[in-house]
Parts: sequence; C-alpha cells; structure tokens
Amino acid sequence: MSLALPVYRFRLEPYLEFAKKAFAREATYRFEVFTNVGSLILRIYLMRMVWLALYAQNAAPQGIALHQILTYTVIALLMSLILEVDGTRMIREKLREGTIATDFMKPISPALYFFSDGLGQTLLHGILIVPSLLVALLMVHIDVPPPAALAAFAVSFVLGYLVNFMLNFCMNCVAFWTLESFAVQLIVRWCSDLLSGQIIPLLFFPGILQQIVLALPFAAIYSTPLLIYIGKIPPGGYVEALLVQVGWLLVFAAAGTVIWRAAQRRLVVQGG
Amino acid sequence: MAERLAIWGDVYRQYWRINVLTALEYRANFLVWFGFTFIYHATALIALWIILQEFPSMNGWNFPQMAFLYSLWMLAHSINNTLFLTVGDVPEHVREGEFDRVFVRPLNALFQIITTPQQIFPDELILALSLFVLATIWSGVTVDWWFVVFIPLIVMGGALIDFAINLVIATCSFWFVRVDALRWIAFQLEQEFTRYPISIYTKGVRLVLTFLLPFAFMNYFPATFFLDKAEDALHLSPFVGLATPLVGLVCFVLAYWFWIIGLNKYQGVGH
Repeated sequence: MSLALPVYRFRLEPYLEFAKKAFAREATYRFEVFTNVGSLILRIYLMRMVWLALYAQNAAPQGIALHQILTYTVIALLMSLILEVDGTRMIREKLREGTIATDFMKPISPALYFFSDGLGQTLLHGILIVPSLLVALLMVHIDVPPPAALAAFAVSFVLGYLVNFMLNFCMNCVAFWTLESFAVQLIVRWCSDLLSGQIIPLLFFPGILQQIVLALPFAAIYSTPLLIYIGKIPPGGYVEALLVQVGWLLVFAAAGTVIWRAAQRRLVVQGG
Repeated sequence: MAERLAIWGDVYRQYWRINVLTALEYRANFLVWFGFTFIYHATALIALWIILQEFPSMNGWNFPQMAFLYSLWMLAHSINNTLFLTVGDVPEHVREGEFDRVFVRPLNALFQIITTPQQIFPDELILALSLFVLATIWSGVTVDWWFVVFIPLIVMGGALIDFAINLVIATCSFWFVRVDALRWIAFQLEQEFTRYPISIYTKGVRLVLTFLLPFAFMNYFPATFFLDKAEDALHLSPFVGLATPLVGLVCFVLAYWFWIIGLNKYQGVGH
C-alpha cells in the first residue's frame, strides 16, 4: 500500500449507507438484543432491592431521596443501552484480520466510515430503550423533571455520548500498536463504569475522592446528565456543566485526531 | 483401576504443564488479563465500600462482613474458573461440529472437556485467597476448628455448585443451538446477586437462589453461620451454612446424570 492516500471529493451519501448497513446488521442479532433487555431488567430489580434495603435503615445521604436514587439508577441503566455500544470496535477486529488495509484503499475517509458505522449501531440500540423503559416503569416509579431540565439533560446526554465515543475510539486505536488491546479496553470500561457514576452517584464518594472523580473526564459521560436529570445540578449550573463536557469532548477529539494520524502512518509502515 | 487412575493423573499433569507453559510464553498477555481480573473484583469491592461509607449497613451487614461474603463467593468461583472453565466451551464445540472427537478417544468425555488446554493460570485463585485472609481478619470471624475443617469443604462445595450449573447449561446445547441467554442470566445471578445478603430480595428470588440455582450456598448461608448472624432470609437454622459441601455434591451428581442423558441423545441422533 502506497503512502499516497486516494484523493476524493467528499460526499455524504456513502456514510448514510454505512450507517444504514450497520443498523441492519445489528438488527440481525435479535438474540443479543433480547439478552440485553433481559439483563437490564434483572439489574433494575437488583439495584431497586439494594437501594430499598439501604434506605430502609438509614437516612437519605447527600440530600438524595429514595425516589431520586431509583430514578437515577433506572435512567443510568437505560443510558447504558446506548453508551455500552462500542461503536468503533470494528477497528480492532479489522486490524486483527488485516482487512483494514482495504478500507484505506477505498475512496472514503476510513475514520468517517467507522463513525457512521458506530452511529448506525447506536441508533438500533437506542430503539431498545422504548421496551426497556416500559418494563422499567412497571417495576419502579421514575421522576420526570421540568422541561428545562429535560432539555438540558438531552444536550448533556449527547455530549456524554460523544465523549464516550471518542474515548472508545482512542482505545480501539491502541490496537494499531499492540494488536491485543481487548483486555486493556475492558479494564478502562470497568474503571469508567465506576468513575463515571453509572453504578453509584459520584456524590456518594467520600471527601477528597469525590472531588477527584468529579474532576475526571469520566464524570462527563454519565454523571453530568444524570445529576441534571435528578436536579442535583440546578438550572443555574447548566451552562458550566455543559461547558466542562464540551471541554472534555475537545480534549478527546484532539487526542483522537493525533492518534489516528499516527496510526495511519504506522499502518502504512507495517503493511510495507 | 489403579492403572486407569494413573493414566488420568498423567493426562492431568500434562494438561497443567501445557497451561503454565502457554501462560509463560505469552507473558505480556497474561499480565494484562491479570490486571483485568484484579480491576474487575476491585471495582466491585470499591463500589460496596463507597455505598457503605454513606450507609452504615445493609440489612445489618457492614462492609467487612460484605467483604467476607464476597471473598467466600470469589474463592469458590475462582476454583471453578481454574479447574472447570472449559465446560463453557461445549456449546461452541457442538455448534461448530467439533464435539464428536470426544467420542473417538478412550477417556471419559467430561474429563476430556475439562482438560482442553487453555491459557489458564491460577491468578484469580491467588487473588481470592488474599482477599479471603484479609476479610476474615477484618470481619473478626473466629478462626476455630469449625472454620478450619469446614471452610475448605464449603469452598469446594461452592465450586461444585458453580460447576454443576455451568454443566447443566452446557448440556442444554445438545438440544438447543443457542444457550447464551440462559448462560447470561445464570452468570448475572451468580456474579451480581451474590454480592449482597439474599435477605434484601423478594421471597421468590430468595427461593430461586436457594433451591433452583443454589448460589446462596456458595456464600450467603456459610457467611451467616461464620459471622454468627441470624438467617433472616428464609429463617432457617444457621447450621444450614454447613450443608454447602453436601449441596455441591448433590448438584454435581444431578448435573452429571443430566450430562450423560445429553451425551446419549447427541450420539443417538447420529451427528
């Protein structure tokens, strides 16, 4: 493969097609879809029992009432249906099989191709939120915040999605150097689940730990949208909270660009 | 008979030699996976610790006691993962048509399955042992003769429960091509529902975890016995906690019997 990458005129249609293809492909794994929803329901039950037991014998800590924590947990689990999709894992798979070389020869931007593929996958998993929400409503009462908070939550969720997407993208690009990056990625995933507030609100972390986790980029993924949703970030704090998320997004986008450029060079060198 | 046992022993020794050699060959890989195992259990424990900073107890269990509960499960689970992990590959072997080779070799089928070389190293077991020692000291469990005699038996019984359930699920693949959903649900019940005392669940779930998928015998019942707690989930005698080895044996015998039925069925239809 030569260093001269093909020059082409940018058109949007191919990428829409890629997204549609990814959507259709994911839809064929009906079974996986079913397990996803099933395990989500089990987890909603589990977390509901855990919080009920904790709140039964103790006062509400950090001013978070039982109905707020249950809402937090269910919304976090529904968000995870979308956020746990690793949109660019194809990079890792294609690297192992070596087929990524042909993607670089096509008259498209490989990075955009992987992004649109990820988008298609996300859309399919996004649809799953509907049945999951309906089942969740049978099990738990979920608070609905005022429209302003709901709107801020939506914006914040999109930003969190993008931060998460770029983080995964960077991790998948690690495979250009190590080839076996799956375990590293799982490690980051487990840490991220804990540090992003997906499992427990970051406000429950004690003392100095709380300040640290709130300052880490992981907080931009789950914690910020969720705290807006349950009202722990008041309307006066929206702008600041959203700006911090935008800041992290820019950091990861910049990192992603640098890594991708280096990866491209590296691939060319490896491929001879 | 003695000759037969000698052959089994020899095969088993060779199997572990290959495992350890492979692990040594791919050292970087091994280190990364070890890091993964460590982080997996560490995040679970840290989450429990954080919750129990804000709330002094969960149904009367404090953090050191919950850590003891977790370590008891982890010990049994890691023994199962170290010795019997490959049972989980049976559905894939069946699907890919690779299972038939088991029948042409002159060794017990299940023994062949659990001696399929993999990159297994007892790293999780070592972690589990360390956590168990720490949690025992922390939670102030009295280490007496009961403890010394029963803990090893209970841990082995717990591993057998884990193994038996995995074996039943694997055997289902002789009838159904896909058993992943079943496996997933059992996996989640085992990994996540055993983290908390089962008294927090509704009655139905407590009964399932005691009688249908008896994960509660891996850690909840023994832990209530050794921590001198009242068993307030099903109001049974605390001595139920000592029944784990027996429950493990019964589960294994039933699972093995089901496995034999599955094997006969598989051969019967002439695959």
